[in-house]
Amino acid sequence: MTQVSLTTFWVALGCYLAGMVAYFVYLAVRREAVYRVANTLAWIGLIAQLVSVIARAFAAHRVPWGNMYEYSVMSALIVVGAELIFVEWRAKVKTVGGFALAYAVFTMAIATMFFYRGPEPLQPVLDSVWLKIHVFAMIAGSSMLILGSGVVVPLYLWKRWREGKQAPAVEVSGSGEDAAAPEEGAPADLTSDEVHGGAPRRGILPSSDVLDRVAAQIITIGFFIFTFAVIAGAIWAERAWGRYWNWDPKETWSFVSWVIFASYLHARSTVAWKGKRAAIIALAGFAALMITYYWVNLGSASLHSYAGLPQ
Amino acid sequence: MLSTVRQALSIAWRSLRTMRTALLLLLLMSLAAIAGSLIPQEGASDLAIERIKIAHPLRHSVYSSLGLFDVYGSWWFTLIYVLLLISLVACLIPRTRGFLRAVRSAPTSAPDLGALRAHAVAPVDDATPEAALLRARTILRRRGFRVRRVDNAGVPQLAARKGTAREGGSLLFHWALLLILVGVVWGRGAGFTGVVAIVEGDTWVEAHANYQTNIREGRFFNEDHSNISLRVDDFTAAYRSSGMPEAFITTGELFDPQGRSLGQVQIQPNHPAVAHGVRFYQNAYGYAPLVVVTAGDGRTLSDAPVDLEQARDLPGAPPVDARTKPWNGIVRLPSLRPQVAVRLQMLPDAQAAAVGAPAVTAADPVMLFWVYEGDLGLSSMKPINETDLSSMREIGSGFVPMGESDTVQVPGIEGAEGTLTVGFPELREYTVLQVVRDRGIAIMLVAALCILGGLFTALGSTRRRVWVQASTVGSDTVLEAGGYALQRRAQFDEQFVTLFAALAPHTESS
Repeated sequence: MTQVSLTTFWVALGCYLAGMVAYFVYLAVRREAVYRVANTLAWIGLIAQLVSVIARAFAAHRVPWGNMYEYSVMSALIVVGAELIFVEWRAKVKTVGGFALAYAVFTMAIATMFFYRGPEPLQPVLDSVWLKIHVFAMIAGSSMLILGSGVVVPLYLWKRWREGKQAPAVEVSGSGEDAAAPEEGAPADLTSDEVHGGAPRRGILPSSDVLDRVAAQIITIGFFIFTFAVIAGAIWAERAWGRYWNWDPKETWSFVSWVIFASYLHARSTVAWKGKRAAIIALAGFAALMITYYWVNLGSASLHSYAGLPQ
Repeated sequence: MLSTVRQALSIAWRSLRTMRTALLLLLLMSLAAIAGSLIPQEGASDLAIERIKIAHPLRHSVYSSLGLFDVYGSWWFTLIYVLLLISLVACLIPRTRGFLRAVRSAPTSAPDLGALRAHAVAPVDDATPEAALLRARTILRRRGFRVRRVDNAGVPQLAARKGTAREGGSLLFHWALLLILVGVVWGRGAGFTGVVAIVEGDTWVEAHANYQTNIREGRFFNEDHSNISLRVDDFTAAYRSSGMPEAFITTGELFDPQGRSLGQVQIQPNHPAVAHGVRFYQNAYGYAPLVVVTAGDGRTLSDAPVDLEQARDLPGAPPVDARTKPWNGIVRLPSLRPQVAVRLQMLPDAQAAAVGAPAVTAADPVMLFWVYEGDLGLSSMKPINETDLSSMREIGSGFVPMGESDTVQVPGIEGAEGTLTVGFPELREYTVLQVVRDRGIAIMLVAALCILGGLFTALGSTRRRVWVQASTVGSDTVLEAGGYALQRRAQFDEQFVTLFAALAPHTESS
């Protein structure tokens, strides 16, 4: 089973790598056939990785999210899965895949180079049903937030910047999504980014407000799951340590990330802050998540340091 | 002067009421929390603080005076916290009032449907406007709208709205957040957290004095300890061959203050024991060998388990694997003249220690001991293991494997009759339990559920308003609809098209 898990891991990594290249080629040549190849590779990689994770669970006789290697693998799985489902299938945006796969490849490469450990049982303090719930929700929530804030939002900002440069050439349409509703009595958007609407699309990426909307949708779902994960973690901490909140570095940084993404959601519903400013807040949230994952796990004296790294 | 103060206060109050202030305070709180995660905190990393004190005395004193070693207990953190509480309340009360008013108020008519963001007109097959409205009402209801009939300057109109839950959920979420802040203060303030070591076979009563000094009681705690007791029968620690811990189990029995049994308990990580609102958590463990000290004439001078501890890592030195460190303790014999202390050092696995390997189990316990004479310094009330031996004089030493004893000559000690014999008949363990009472747990749980429920409703629903009216133009019945959305407007545009297609089949919206 360990061998199955390892083999499929490498199959998945290979598919993601090839898929990433194909997506980028698609961005350059914009041929539907190339996109179909890229999309198929991503799906094959996803299935291989799913097999890898399940095989790992059987090899270790427990849920496959007990140390940093497994967490990284799960995170890559969910980022790719959510991208395929929410961005490509539901929102019909075909241009984000390469960047999501790049994140997955990066995460998996780091996992296998630095964090790998064979399947083994858990420490007693980790052996709890709340662990299963808390850690899984945390992986799912933070992976969604990463997809939204670390993959889609940067593309949104880039696209906005491109549109800003092209703005004079594009017909300005008043029927854009963000045109002020009668209730808000808002002036026309001051940042003058409403240059999409029925106008023909320019450049490769879909119009910036589509990306904005997709990012917000993914971050909203991620935020809800993340909130649940923090609560489940508090319940677990109460069972394991007798304190539901201890300002442990990881708890602190989860709180920081939570506050930043809460600010993002508030900013998006505020006229003056939606768009670019909200996107920059989301980028800060992405940074906080990365710090939580890499710095707190590896560099700080935290009760959450269960990375289980090779000694 | 007075009016200036009043003005300043009113400005402060008004700015506290804005959402931006609340968010700013939250961000400020997370900045403070980041500081707390970067700088070592009291209680969590005392050793690191000690290191800073040695290496950078100035930085240590600056941090210390700013409360940076205890961020979460500092006055400025509390200030942010209290301001956040006030700001949330100030935000929420007017919003809640507005929400309740909006829920109770009758829906208004829309005089000019054509002016709305989404608008469509089309002829329908219904014979009368009345029939068309009746049909429209059913369709709107089926799509989750709350529909009311209103009067638009003589023309009957349907006013439909959906998504009141969004604001309701958002309010629930924010009130629950407030409840969390209150629950934290109340739970910590009215409860306590203590740590206690109990040797196998001993019974411990939950009362203030029995924590020695290892207890933190909240500000509103009124000394009503439970007085329940716990008898520890056994402690087991098991490790896998790889050295990874497998299980830590304290087995015992709980008794109420009258001595009636509350049942057997097994305390393990993730499985605390609970009685009378007090929880016992498995925290750590250690060795407590039974040590018997006898005088030259066979009189027993001391016969009790001795709690042994491992030396803390030194500041500045790299950390040492705890399983390679010896266990240290002291037996005090104050009745002898001069007074005598026996310093003990135990190795749980002598064979492992001989080759420098970590001791995973107490496979081959041996004890080294040193006898000191002098003043025990009993008046200073220090814990036994912190007895100051530097002012005493070493007069002998010995070596005892478990089950045996060793005798040293101690001439000149009054009451020892020439020799002291140290016996080590049995190795027991002590379990370290964390004892906690937090009365805020139920509040927190309710608040957490409300947070999730509120968030789900708020993020999942969207506010839409739609009006429909029908009129007769010539021989045709014409249906007119208009509406707008407060969230996800692009999505609403599509929904409006499909909605109107259902209201007026075979037509297209304008």
